[in-house]
Amino acid sequence: MNKRAQRKKKRRVIPVPIASMGDIAFLLIIFFLVCSEVAKDKTNLEVTLPESEYVKKNKATVAARVAIDQDGVIYFDGARVPSAKDVEWGVRAVLASTVSEDQRHVQFKCDANLTKQTFEPVMKAIAEAGGLLDAVGEINQD
Amino acid sequence: MKRNRGEKKHRSGEIPTGSFSDIAFLLIIYFLVATTLVKVKTITADLPSGEKSSQSQSSDTPTVSLKGDLIMFKDKKVDLAGLNDRLLALDLFEQEGSKKVILLESTKGTPYNNYFQVLATISANGGVVALVEDDK
Repeated sequence: MNKRAQRKKKRRVIPVPIASMGDIAFLLIIFFLVCSEVAKDKTNLEVTLPESEYVKKNKATVAARVAIDQDGVIYFDGARVPSAKDVEWGVRAVLASTVSEDQRHVQFKCDANLTKQTFEPVMKAIAEAGGLLDAVGEINQD
Repeated sequence: MKRNRGEKKHRSGEIPTGSFSDIAFLLIIYFLVATTLVKVKTITADLPSGEKSSQSQSSDTPTVSLKGDLIMFKDKKVDLAGLNDRLLALDLFEQEGSKKVILLESTKGTPYNNYFQVLATISANGGVVALVEDDK
């Protein structure tokens, strides 16, 4: 009994150094803030997206982003371009360094009310450049 | 004596930093929970181009024509559900090469919404869409 009591007395309380925990945590926050990439998609345009029951969440990594706003203005990776030909050259340049099929995805966002004359040359340009068209839409709830 | 007592009451100007780590970790958890990764919904369509496109087209290749709001499949008027049924009957997932190809032609003024819906239906049925060039 006595021995037990002695043993208990001998147990040391090992203090965990927590003084630097705050610094570590703040360093982690700064690390995340610096390293995280905030939405690359600068083409945050006001467009009415087309609807279909077949759209699904895209898991593929997109090589380039092409968009056409409601006025028919074409954007390639967020920058305004004058014609569909520029899209073709842009996609060609991006895809030149790709090696696999999965890296060919080109996101295409277009206003639902635009007519064929505006969107088809751009779609053809993406196809001509070897891009795999990922057309953005919304799920049709009907 | 009174002065001495007053001096004793002076507090040391240290900022309590004990809870800093808790605050920081709470911030990390907040950012992790509140962050939403933007995932857009899309349809994927492989559009053959150039030589590949012309090679894949033959006289018996099924054609979908868009004339404004009208959808025609092999020159017969269909709606989206009807088009889906026709494409299902072709069993495109089991086909290979040029047999998977569906020609898509449209008239001027066809809205993108209709175009997208047809494109989505063909792609969902395993078809490869070949865009028909305008001769006019």
